[in-house]
Amino acid sequence: MTAVNAMLVIIVLSLLAYALLAGADFGGGGWDLLAGLGRDRKTAEDQRSLISASLGPVWEANHVWLIFVIVCVFAGFPAAFGDIAVSLELPLAFALLGIVLRGAAYVYRAYGQGAALPDRWWSRIFACASVLTPFMLGVSGAALATGRLGPRAGSAATSSVVSTPLTPFETPFALLAGLLAVVVTAFLAAVYLCFDAAQSPASAHMVEVFRRKAIGAAVASGVVALAMLPFFYRDAPVVAARFTDRSIPFAAVSALCGFGSLYVLWTKRYVLARATAAVAVAGVLIGWAVAQYPDLMTGVHTAQQAAAAPSSMDAMLVAMCCGMAVVLPSFFLLLRMFAKPVVEEHAAMH
Amino acid sequence: MSGLDAARVETAVSLSFHILFAVFGVGMPWFLLYTEGRWLKTRDRHWYALTRKWARVTAVLFAIGAVSGTVLSFEFGLLWPTFMSTYGGAIGLLFTLEAFAFFTEAIFMGMYLYGWNRLSAKAHWLTLWPIAISGTLSTLFIVMANGWMNEPVGIATVDGKIVADPWAVFTSSSAWSEATHMFVAALMCTGGMIAAVYAWGMLRRGRRDRYHRLGLKVGFIGVLAMIPIQMFLGDWSARVVGATQPVKLAAMEAHYTTSSHVPLTIGGFYNAQTHQIVAGIPIPDGLSLLMGFNANTVIPGLQTAPANEQPPVATVHLAFDSMVGCGTLIFLIALLAAWTWWRRRQQQLLPRIPETRFWLWSAIVTGPASIIALLGGWEVTEGGRQPWIVYGHMLVATAATKSGGIGWSVFATILVYLGLATALILILRKLATGQPPELACSDALDDLVVELESLK
Repeated sequence: MTAVNAMLVIIVLSLLAYALLAGADFGGGGWDLLAGLGRDRKTAEDQRSLISASLGPVWEANHVWLIFVIVCVFAGFPAAFGDIAVSLELPLAFALLGIVLRGAAYVYRAYGQGAALPDRWWSRIFACASVLTPFMLGVSGAALATGRLGPRAGSAATSSVVSTPLTPFETPFALLAGLLAVVVTAFLAAVYLCFDAAQSPASAHMVEVFRRKAIGAAVASGVVALAMLPFFYRDAPVVAARFTDRSIPFAAVSALCGFGSLYVLWTKRYVLARATAAVAVAGVLIGWAVAQYPDLMTGVHTAQQAAAAPSSMDAMLVAMCCGMAVVLPSFFLLLRMFAKPVVEEHAAMH
Repeated sequence: MSGLDAARVETAVSLSFHILFAVFGVGMPWFLLYTEGRWLKTRDRHWYALTRKWARVTAVLFAIGAVSGTVLSFEFGLLWPTFMSTYGGAIGLLFTLEAFAFFTEAIFMGMYLYGWNRLSAKAHWLTLWPIAISGTLSTLFIVMANGWMNEPVGIATVDGKIVADPWAVFTSSSAWSEATHMFVAALMCTGGMIAAVYAWGMLRRGRRDRYHRLGLKVGFIGVLAMIPIQMFLGDWSARVVGATQPVKLAAMEAHYTTSSHVPLTIGGFYNAQTHQIVAGIPIPDGLSLLMGFNANTVIPGLQTAPANEQPPVATVHLAFDSMVGCGTLIFLIALLAAWTWWRRRQQQLLPRIPETRFWLWSAIVTGPASIIALLGGWEVTEGGRQPWIVYGHMLVATAATKSGGIGWSVFATILVYLGLATALILILRKLATGQPPELACSDALDDLVVELESLK
């Protein structure tokens, strides 16, 4: 494997970690927003406390996966990074707004004691930002596949396509991809929360609530994914054709695990549900990444052409091997330590 | 607003916001190591109470530092695409290393903030070490990337493509002098602000208890002990700047015509037409003596750069003097404190530093003074490099985005950050009101225990 491909694999795996870990944190925010609606509104405050307790110790570490992806793209593929960022400036700016507001609102609510705004307001900001961010990131990823993005004037890359700030939003495919990101993160969050709720008698009454939500979100994810397919072939023909050639096995695994998740949720096996849910999401993400290869920005930048000089690339790969040797074990330790969130304990920390 | 101006303003706002709050994420863990260590050793609940209070403050500030840092990493591409596409490979290694350092910091921060009941007291204290070390490392890596922009080492052009030796930056004295200067600045800001908050509580709210005394002592000693080191590092930085970026040094001292016997000018305003400084206090031969230990040392002036490659001298000189002025003020307080301490020790008086209005006000001053010096220092580094983004290689104007539509995002950024900063300050003020619940109930009992132990 060449250094360029090794870098791509690292980027995709980090993106996957971000989707599975931070994605669930965003999904939790989404459920915070919906907690007061429908038949489960009686337990709304309990749900919010559990969501907050499950995020507390891990959300910042989960979030770093995104920073890591960004750094890898700009360090590994500098020629493409500027064009990607500028052509996606609108969705990325909104994603950033969501990231900043979500994080700030979370800690302000937890530690603020109402000094700046009432907790309820921070709660709303936290929840809305948690929905905004995955939507915008979903749109950004899909827009890269469409081949409609072009570099702006002044870029070194040449392309016949010229895009405006609104171009990423102009295809139904990209909008549906944003929606898919929202429902998939909600699905992951609900599945993880089923297990979390079952850990303590005090929160056990919410298991059923999140189980219903998980099943609903699983069905919604399937529907959105199916609805997306025809637009995928229409709006992103190049990547879609490669998807047919290369990614059918990944899509099949994803679909299988999607149905499997429904089954294990039905039979109330929540640890197994975490695994099937994660594999279902991984199937979609890896399927897309494989079909996207070798393009970074379809029609404008390929990985090979945008790669940094070999000396830089090698140095980064060395740094990554050393870095991961420290980070990965620590990360597992963190996840293990807080595998069982306890609501009362969480509240006492603030 | 042109794309260039918009990119400049947005970067300035995002960077200032990030620096202002991220420094505490760097400094606090080192102070927590001390207070929690003292608690482990003495089992004095006051140390525990301080630790818990500071951990809450750190949690909020660290989160704000993390999200505002994410904004910056995106902004490199959004606002400076040409810079990134040309030199991304050269500073990529530093950012990769920084990402790992930050990763480690975030992981152990999670364990530290939420692990009070899940870890033994000793293990809990131990999680501070990776936080403090990786926080320090991430400062070093990020500031070294800035050092590289000031002194771009290890790059060459082969067949029209830029190739970089990404390890070269570790041999650059600009990178090391800047990074160490910034790290000590982070410690000083943290210590100074801690001292200021507790001194304020004692002076204005009359909270003259052991909890406040300990808090004040830790912060005040922290900031005062750092200032001699900081002055040494600052002196080193100035020498490196003189050697690698003579125009920046000339701008710091508003020195136009290359000559010997160059004075050091305190204050004053630079007149860009006459190239003279108005109403400053010159110290004859000062700059020549400082840079070469000899009044005959020739210092290159601003005239060595063409007019369109000269930095905004008036701002840079003002920023430099505010930094040096604040640093000197803290140094004078440190000298006086050392002398007072020594004299009262001779006379066997306690406390060694009396809690008079004068000393409490001195402690209060060290906080804002450190922050002003920090921001002034950044203005010198960044403003003094203008119009270059990579000194001598790429102009800021070349690097900026050509997208016309970012004017709105500047206003949005300013608005959002103003709102978040206001909320943050309100929350910190609330957190700073008095002893935490850990102390309130068991106060009297603990004092007794401590007294008993000291009798043994």
